[in-house]
Amino acid sequence: MKKSLEKLLTISTVHDPFKPQKVRIADIEYLAPDHKRFSFVFVDEELNETWSFKPGQFVMLTVPKAGEIPISICSSPTRKGTVELTVRNVGRKTNVLHQMKCGDVLGLRGPYGNSFPVDLMEGHNVLIIAGGLGMAPLRSLVWYVLDKREKYKKVYLLYGTRNYESVLYKDELGRLKSRNDIKCIYILDKVGTEEDKNWTDREGLITSLIPEVDLDPADTYVAVCGPPVAYKFIGAELIKNGYQESKVFVSLERKMECGVGKCGHCQVGYKFTCVDGPIFPLWDTKNLPKMI
Amino acid sequence: MEFQLETAKIIPKENLGEFLEGLKSFGRLVAPVKKKEKFYFSEIDDVSKVDTDYIRTILPPKKFILEYLRERFEYSPEKMEFLETFKPQSQVVFGLHSCDLHGIAILDAVYLKGENPDPRYLAARKETVLIGISCAPDEDCFCISTGTAFPDGTSWDLFFTDIGDSYFISIGSAKGDEIVHSLEQLFKEISKRDLVLYKKVTAEKKYMFKDGNIPDIERISQVIELEFDSEIWDEEAKRCFSCGTCTNTCPTCFCYTSVDVPSLDGSVVKRVEFITSCQYPYYSLVAGGHWFHENLKERFRNRYYHKYVGYPYQIERFGCVGCGRCQHECPAGIRIVDTLKKLRGAGDEEKSGKATDNIHSA
Repeated sequence: MKKSLEKLLTISTVHDPFKPQKVRIADIEYLAPDHKRFSFVFVDEELNETWSFKPGQFVMLTVPKAGEIPISICSSPTRKGTVELTVRNVGRKTNVLHQMKCGDVLGLRGPYGNSFPVDLMEGHNVLIIAGGLGMAPLRSLVWYVLDKREKYKKVYLLYGTRNYESVLYKDELGRLKSRNDIKCIYILDKVGTEEDKNWTDREGLITSLIPEVDLDPADTYVAVCGPPVAYKFIGAELIKNGYQESKVFVSLERKMECGVGKCGHCQVGYKFTCVDGPIFPLWDTKNLPKMI
Repeated sequence: MEFQLETAKIIPKENLGEFLEGLKSFGRLVAPVKKKEKFYFSEIDDVSKVDTDYIRTILPPKKFILEYLRERFEYSPEKMEFLETFKPQSQVVFGLHSCDLHGIAILDAVYLKGENPDPRYLAARKETVLIGISCAPDEDCFCISTGTAFPDGTSWDLFFTDIGDSYFISIGSAKGDEIVHSLEQLFKEISKRDLVLYKKVTAEKKYMFKDGNIPDIERISQVIELEFDSEIWDEEAKRCFSCGTCTNTCPTCFCYTSVDVPSLDGSVVKRVEFITSCQYPYYSLVAGGHWFHENLKERFRNRYYHKYVGYPYQIERFGCVGCGRCQHECPAGIRIVDTLKKLRGAGDEEKSGKATDNIHSA
């Protein structure tokens, strides 16, 4: 400890991880009630080329006058030029963001946190399981894997939604179904409303799809993101079907103020979600008390 | 290293005032003063007010490095360019006890370690000279358990050890040496007698703690994990007011909240950070209304869990320095030492041998 201090004392300036970069909204897409996808470009053009991240990482977005929010990136680093964030209008700051228009400027810093282990996944099958808004960070992984398709064996995408109205990326997910290098199965909890009758895919719980996945569990990496309550059931079902705990990764959400392990809010057990996560191996759902 | 005898010096106590006066040329002077019955670290103008005869201050000295209310940036919502407004001030903090030096060492680890050191903390830390002083424990001190009764391994510039009529000065850094050199006339070379006295008082410190007042910290991480669902948490938390005094007075607690505060006309926004507490209900509240620490018991337990299980994972040492502030100031009279003892007692009767008796008779 003393050593790291003494080393830093000899450096004149350090990179400021708290300082946001100026970004401009390039595009806004309405996805579902209270859900929008925002595309950002850096005002400093060079950053649009150099700024990079990995699927699963998040950024801290400064909504002018309202404050900062941690949002995971839903675009893939294989498609440079814009940074895309899917945001649910759920609180004070996201509400202000949802009123904003193309051309408006904001602040953005990051990327922070670890990522889905895309390098480890190379040469193996990839099973992606998304529930609801959990599709956002996994969209990044889906496109990453598809853009580097030759590096991975079979790829599966399971997506579960509560109702038809809240299906995210409808067109995109529809198009994915027609590709033959990814197997997609979508499922809706329970057809209830009139609108739900437009649903042409499966009906039921997402866990019911796991036994149908035709992959060798020992040769498969699994990425899961959804409401935390689902992790317990999805995790148990995966284990039951022979998937290995060390190869299943879940993404977590917590309150965050800083994104760099200084504010303390995102404690989960003895770890910090921002620096030790947000991607955790399934083992941590058992290991860290009150994680899910 | 910092305890080199080659560089050590002696300062007669009557020279202390002049020494403190001399420190002012190195920046603002911060030292403990007494107001009514309590002690505070305060900026010093009149050095005769400095009172080294204290056990603990209400707030730890972290407030001079990591201010409780501070500004991170200022920005105009139109331009979205972030301007740093913080200007570090040169300062000398005098009269730090060993526990507080360890507290600062822990904050150093949290704020400076890893990929993203905090530049503002670093700037403040660079401008701060730390001068420690030896102390004697009272009934709330348990630094001997947490391994923080001596300043070993922490970063400081000078350390004063009381040896009766004078202080034995250890020099811990080049800056410390510079200070001593600039005030050379106040110091003496160490004599054989000084050295004997120094070794004696340092060695004797551990006998000043009363067994009943200090907890057994050995394998405390394990004990807390084993007793995670213990009823003791409920019992202790029942008395807690969630006031946050324990975390506000803690020299190692660092959690803060950040808010953007616009000016009345909205032309300038300040990003303000202020210290918060894991004991406050809204600490873990996220948009959408989910509370990650949903009740008092969980928040209460979280403090212990983070101090004794979390910190060891994050910075490889406990987040508790045994200063006793939390139990001394707690308006509900909750004592961390008692909680730890109860937890250990709950599943662990090793001392009495009862645990193994039960196994044999089972």
